[in-house]
Amino acid sequence: MTAALDEPRATARRAPLTRLLRSELRMVLRRPRTLIGLALLALVPVVAGIGIAIATGSSSGESVGDGLASLVEGNGLLLPIFGLTMSMTMLLPLTGAMLAADALAGEAANGTLRGLLVAPVGRARLLAVKAFGVAAVSLFAVLLMAATGIVAGLLLLGGDGMLTSSGTTLPFGAGLGRVLLTVVLVTVQVWALAAVALAVSAWTEHPLIVVVVSLGVVIVSGVLSVIPALDWLTPALITTSWEAIPEVVKDPLPTATLLTGVLRAGCYILIGYSIALSRMLTRDG
Amino acid sequence: MSGSTEFGTVAGSPAAVPAARTRGLRKVYRGTVAVDNVDLEVPTGAVLGMLGPNGSGKTTTIRMLLGLVTPTAGEVELLGRKLPEGAAESLPEVGALVEGPGFHPFLSGRENLLRAAAAEPHLSTSRIPAAVGAALERVGLAHAANRRFRGYSLGMKQRLGLAGALLVPRRLVVLDEPTNGLDPAGTREIRTIMADLHAAGTTVVVSSHLLAEVEATCTHVAVLNQGTVVAQGELADLLDAGSATLLVSTPEVEAAVDALRDHRIPARSLAEGIRVDLTATTAPEVVETLVKAGVPVHEVRRQRTGLEDLFARLTEDPVDAAELDPTSDPLVPQETR
Amino acid sequence: MNRKRTALSVAAAGTATGVVGLVLLAAPAGADEAPPTLPEVSAEALVQSVLTSDVPALSGTVKVSSDLGLPVPGLPTGDEAVRVYTDGQGKARISMDQGRGEKTVIADGATTWLWNSADRSVVKYDSAAEHRADRSTEEKLADPAAVSLEFITAMRADSTVSVDGTAKVADRPAYQLVLTPKPTERTLLREVRIAVDSETRLPLRLEVLANGSAEPALSVGFTEFATGAQDAGLFTFTPPAGAKVTDGNAEAREHQPTEQQKKDFLATINPKVVGEGWDTVLVGTVPADLLKAEVSGKDADGRKAAGTPLDLLKQFGKPVSGPFGTGFVITTKVGTALVAEDGRVAVGAVPQQVLVDALGQK
Repeated sequence: MTAALDEPRATARRAPLTRLLRSELRMVLRRPRTLIGLALLALVPVVAGIGIAIATGSSSGESVGDGLASLVEGNGLLLPIFGLTMSMTMLLPLTGAMLAADALAGEAANGTLRGLLVAPVGRARLLAVKAFGVAAVSLFAVLLMAATGIVAGLLLLGGDGMLTSSGTTLPFGAGLGRVLLTVVLVTVQVWALAAVALAVSAWTEHPLIVVVVSLGVVIVSGVLSVIPALDWLTPALITTSWEAIPEVVKDPLPTATLLTGVLRAGCYILIGYSIALSRMLTRDG
Repeated sequence: MSGSTEFGTVAGSPAAVPAARTRGLRKVYRGTVAVDNVDLEVPTGAVLGMLGPNGSGKTTTIRMLLGLVTPTAGEVELLGRKLPEGAAESLPEVGALVEGPGFHPFLSGRENLLRAAAAEPHLSTSRIPAAVGAALERVGLAHAANRRFRGYSLGMKQRLGLAGALLVPRRLVVLDEPTNGLDPAGTREIRTIMADLHAAGTTVVVSSHLLAEVEATCTHVAVLNQGTVVAQGELADLLDAGSATLLVSTPEVEAAVDALRDHRIPARSLAEGIRVDLTATTAPEVVETLVKAGVPVHEVRRQRTGLEDLFARLTEDPVDAAELDPTSDPLVPQETR
Repeated sequence: MNRKRTALSVAAAGTATGVVGLVLLAAPAGADEAPPTLPEVSAEALVQSVLTSDVPALSGTVKVSSDLGLPVPGLPTGDEAVRVYTDGQGKARISMDQGRGEKTVIADGATTWLWNSADRSVVKYDSAAEHRADRSTEEKLADPAAVSLEFITAMRADSTVSVDGTAKVADRPAYQLVLTPKPTERTLLREVRIAVDSETRLPLRLEVLANGSAEPALSVGFTEFATGAQDAGLFTFTPPAGAKVTDGNAEAREHQPTEQQKKDFLATINPKVVGEGWDTVLVGTVPADLLKAEVSGKDADGRKAAGTPLDLLKQFGKPVSGPFGTGFVITTKVGTALVAEDGRVAVGAVPQQVLVDALGQK
């Protein structure tokens, strides 16, 4: 390096990471699509709560549904868990896929990814920032649903503590703990799908492709899991953990099952981010 | 990073290290050669205009200069550091506006710049608001800073992109078609900004299809055609050398052209004579060749042309362009080698 | 292209790790493990220790799977997991998924509670009263230890009992106790394998293997097993507010047939056990009018089923005739049932001929 080129400058080599993360979050949370998605998700538990409250009022004695639904009646703390597990079938995976699609493919199409690359933000760092944005906003979405679910549940359905599916009643604090545990489990599963979506997102400039492929993964997993001849494949499918989430309302907690679900999500996160990283490092900006 | 230069031209004088340099650059997209054998040199302090028809490889070359695209073959050296290893050190000192401004439509101009500024390594967090304000002021967007980018006109978008490139004092500014969509007043402003940058010692690379623009503002020119550099050098030298054609009046047009082509001198037949390209030869040599071949020469006259003619000759006539041997092209002045 | 190579190795390493992780999650625990090494034990001593072992405090997951070659109502068809807890002192808790709800059985010593989350109902039994008659098949199968003990006691005399190496069940080293029918036994079953925990001497798994099939036709076993004191709270139950609570004893008494009814019923059915050991055959009589009565109702899957039981037999069974007359026979991998047209029935884990003989004995 020549002396002339290397005149002393009291400047950092890289922009501070926290500044990048803050900027990313601010941007994602200003995107109209994100805001609409969050608002819709927040409404899900409220709408479910109103529906169950009406169903309970009109049909006395009859159970309002099967599975968790039958337990939500008069059991308000279960409403957020019901809302989250219900949304895990489609809405939340869709949200994760959408966030991941916008993070790389959308920004590439917009030309904004290029701006960050020449700043420069290193490619691995850029992926980390994007992954953080997706992860933080998915967590926020799930927390938001839990919050509206708790409020709507307690106001519309009432209940003292939480009745588990095993027939025991947990005190309010422990019930709240179950809601938070559900938040963690659901968030990790959304992260897993978002990681897969982010890998796709790194390969394309069309956000819609990312959403379509991600939903394809969900649907194909669902189909494979019901084919008896492919039972051996079931423990490896991304959707298998999703189906186990309602088990958080068992007492005692089936820790092993839930932990397996988290580990499975971890494998998908690792695979998704590995592929995304390799693509980011070689991709033309 | 030690910052040792790959080409071994470490010297005391800043001029010895070009602001950007490529060697044997080649990029193949899915079997299509976009850029091939590009040896570009951007001298420090120069305002280099990149000329070339659409699809000639300007943008691809610029993207490789900035490390956005990994070359299939060849090397890029930016501000004395080889890419991609040196990108983290050199890119903060490079401002760029590539392929149109990339901003979020739902954020205001100021918010977009704040976001771009957050990624600038050479901008401390406390200085960001002031830097963004100054950049907006500089491109004349202060009045529209709080409007959404979505509502900006094409010219305003272009200016915001320029503001993004100028957030921090740069050593090299790369502008891809900066006057795209600008009205004449806007074009003049860009010209002023480029002149200011040049006066401050900043190297500027600007690609444009507006030849008058380049002729008015650039010190250096590189002409690309079909993915390769067909001519580069100081603007004045190129105009001198490039504009030199010799008009020879002769009744024996065919014989004259044949005689010159036998000596690998490009010539074209006109109605009452021939036009000889002087890029690879000199006037006395042409006359000598013709006389030796027994062609009667009635009149010999030098013709001066502008950049437009040079450009047209280099890019629009594949026969002549092919006859130019890029490795021994005298259009490339020796001092930039 | 240094960067490209780095990128590809990162992708390969990360993806490979992830895939290996998924494979590990998918692989049944201990599937490829070498059998554990355990001190030698004689079959006699092993059986003795099993019969005298006490159930300690434990928790575990039991998996029941069957491949009978014919769906049998009431038997779990797929793989169903049941969670069991016991304090070793008679208190126990069993919970299982049923459809989209959960069923829990809690025996707190004095009372046995049955909770069903699907309709939020609680059935309460006084444990001191008569033995509960309506224990479902699942509940009985949920206890591999009890099933195995019952089996060993009944079959010892007619079996060759041996120890066939060791195995890992629920991540615990276990002896494989094998009961093979004596050559004189005429049965469809090849052998019954019972994995006995080396430490507690509790049967951990029972597998029934039929002739001509390498995979067990029926398997009941722990997939998780841990001994140790259990939280006392597991064995208490308070019916939640708003749940329907019914008294199981009272209900049972209401439906209890009178002594005379019982006698009449037994006289009609006339149950009889023919033979002993592996080729035990149960013979009885179904009232002929019942066999020909029009039945309409829903089968297990909720489909409408109509027709007389005889029609169904004709559909599923194979016609057979012999000294007893004519009838229909239904064969599964582990058992055979023969229904004569006059209503006599014979069932056993035996080939068809044994049933024919049994019916012919009168």
